[in-house]
Amino acid sequence: MLKRKMIKNFTWPLKTATQEIEVTRLYPEVMMELPAAERGIHELNATICIGCGSCARVCPNSCIEMVHFKFGNPLKNKKMQFPQIDYGRCMFCGLCVDECPVECLKMGQRVTMAGWERKDIIKGPDFLATKRFSSKEVADLEAEAKRIAAEKKRIADAKKAAEKEGAAKEGAAKKPAKEGAAANGAAKKKAAAAEAKPKEGGAA
Amino acid sequence: MTNASEVLSSIQSAFPGAVLDSRVESDRRLWATIDSNKILDVCKHLSSKLNFDHYSGSAGVDWIARKEMEVVAIMASHGAHQVVAMLKVKTPRENPSVKSLTGLYWNANWYEREIWEMLGINFEGHPELYPLLLSDGLMGAWPWRKDFKGYPDLTTGERAVAITTTEGYTEYHFPPTPAEIEAGTVVTQRPKYPSFREREEREIKSDSEMIMHLGPQHAMVPGPFLLDILVEGERVKKAFLDIGYIHKGIEKIMENRTWLQGITYTDRMCYVASLSNNECYCGAVEKILGLEVPLRAQYIRVILEELSRIQSHLIGTGEFLTLIAGVGFAPWQYMIMDREKIISLIESVTGARLTHTFVRFGGVRNDLPEGFAEQCRKDLPYMKSRIEEFIELFAQDPIYHARMENIGSISAETAKRMGCAGRVLRAAGVAYDMRREDPILVYPELDFDIVTGTRGDSADRIDVTLREILQSIRIIEQCLDKIPSGPIKTDVKIPKKIPAGEAYYRVEDPRGEMGMYVISDGGDKPYRVKVRGPFYATFQTLTPLLEGVYIADAVAIAGSMDGCPSESDR
Ligand code: SF4
Ligand code: SF4
Repeated sequence: MLKRKMIKNFTWPLKTATQEIEVTRLYPEVMMELPAAERGIHELNATICIGCGSCARVCPNSCIEMVHFKFGNPLKNKKMQFPQIDYGRCMFCGLCVDECPVECLKMGQRVTMAGWERKDIIKGPDFLATKRFSSKEVADLEAEAKRIAAEKKRIADAKKAAEKEGAAKEGAAKKPAKEGAAANGAAKKKAAAAEAKPKEGGAA
Repeated sequence: MTNASEVLSSIQSAFPGAVLDSRVESDRRLWATIDSNKILDVCKHLSSKLNFDHYSGSAGVDWIARKEMEVVAIMASHGAHQVVAMLKVKTPRENPSVKSLTGLYWNANWYEREIWEMLGINFEGHPELYPLLLSDGLMGAWPWRKDFKGYPDLTTGERAVAITTTEGYTEYHFPPTPAEIEAGTVVTQRPKYPSFREREEREIKSDSEMIMHLGPQHAMVPGPFLLDILVEGERVKKAFLDIGYIHKGIEKIMENRTWLQGITYTDRMCYVASLSNNECYCGAVEKILGLEVPLRAQYIRVILEELSRIQSHLIGTGEFLTLIAGVGFAPWQYMIMDREKIISLIESVTGARLTHTFVRFGGVRNDLPEGFAEQCRKDLPYMKSRIEEFIELFAQDPIYHARMENIGSISAETAKRMGCAGRVLRAAGVAYDMRREDPILVYPELDFDIVTGTRGDSADRIDVTLREILQSIRIIEQCLDKIPSGPIKTDVKIPKKIPAGEAYYRVEDPRGEMGMYVISDGGDKPYRVKVRGPFYATFQTLTPLLEGVYIADAVAIAGSMDGCPSESDR
């Protein structure tokens, strides 16, 4: 008799569990509506972040680390460094948002972020970026960045060369007064000319 | 009415040469350095002749560069005048020692004990220099001194060595590593004193008495603290309070954070009062900077602080009601539900539900969102009708009366002498409210009453709390009508380094008078932040209040104080 009762202890739950009874329910049943000012998970606009690191410096909990991310703007963010936030430490104070000089960091209404392990709640720019460039746009921007860099370099080099020429001329003018200085100037001019040559070739 | 310069000249004429240095900051603030030999006489003079009957706390400061330490006693009056005198006493850093004020002011006890354990300043004539917040293991480390190197890292369990005591229990010890001993971070000389256990066991006089532990995890006050009561039969003969279970060292942490980052730590002193804590800290820094807060920002601050007071009172009362019988559990549920509305209102402005980090130096973080005023006008009348219902409900419940009336009564005189704060003080009939005594922001322009009780018992405390909510609603409604448009932040650029100076700023926290004493040495971090919390002051009066009551009333008394050990421990 007892044995049969015992068996029932197991069969009954098995039977009921296979019927469609709702045992676990989502709680809260309805997610409450969050206000526009809500300070939830950060939203990063990667297209305008300049990678200045102000957010990382102001964070009282040191939870922001600057990491590499591909889909930003290489024109503005030369090293392509973007914030990565450790939500295990973040207290959602919003100081980082206030401190951002280009207002690319915001806090939104997203609030769920559970993970199985601690490292799961360290969220990189890939997770945070709500706005980002596509690979193609990045490639274009990179090409643009290269072009601008080359341009800048060319202008800088030309300026340098001109400066040096000017210096040499000055040196030449001073020649009677100081022989040593003149020799120095001439040498510099030579070096500058030698440097300029291959670059011109490259540009051509 | 007495003002600060009159107080100063009165001291100077009574004790020529006793005032070494002085500064009259305003009519309400006097800073004076007093000769350490004369401090007792000066205080006697202040309390007997000038109505300084409120010892509001004291702070210790370690001036390591000047090789001296300072103890700053904060003196005020319960309504006779509005001057706060900050009386400093200096003592050399080698063997620091000053005279204790416990003989004059009963409540100096805890403040001085704290300074002793944190800074190692001895108080001559103090009756019980025992640790208050620190654990015995940290005694002698003097952690708030500026040259404190940090205590050995005890966070890793691997270092623990198990030792079996003579009674057969296993205890764990953390032997210091040689490196730590060399770095001088290990306490080598501990002051001698009887432990908490020894102190309470000394009081057991007969076999019919025993000690009962309430806590450290006990429901009557949210937050851990240990209340041991020595009972004989059903009566409490003596009570012993051990706090510090949730001591976070916030004051020390703030010394190591930038001025701006400090705001986030003030949130965490007491999470239901985080807006007034924000206000207190920011207000003090604004005072040092001499900043003017734009009018709109002032109104926003007042609105939010009053909303925060409502939600704090609701949870404080509701939680307490679950502990006593009578109307009991149901109001708690309704109060929490109503509180949600208030919390949502605050959240719609600050973006957070509890830890707001909202007030900024010279303004606030966000403006009021669209539709905020309408939502308030919808929710507040509802809240008002609800509170009136609660008041009525408690007034008619006989069980509630039996449990609350004439329980833990405290007279106005006693409440003043013991330095209680907030609802405990006001329930005893003393209309002492910082919004009147030390008005800040736009409070002087608002019309509201200071609610007081008559009997000073537990029932009165709850009644005062509920009626205070009605006043808060009144304040908010006025603010919504009056709030001007305009900027919400000053356009003065806040420097990263705050110029050297000091300020003491008081606000009316939901639990009473809260003050922050902030010192800047011109750096990018505060030199010292001292928090004078309201519950710390009230908590101290718990043990004498419990003497002679029934065990069951201990809960009704402690709970009715609306305590927050997190704030008293900091
Ligand atoms: S998010 Fe803002 S503050 Fe942070 S690195 Fe980018 S631009 Fe700078
Ligand atoms: S919200 Fe506060 S804690 Fe979180 S990353 Fe920003 S600054 Fe750090």
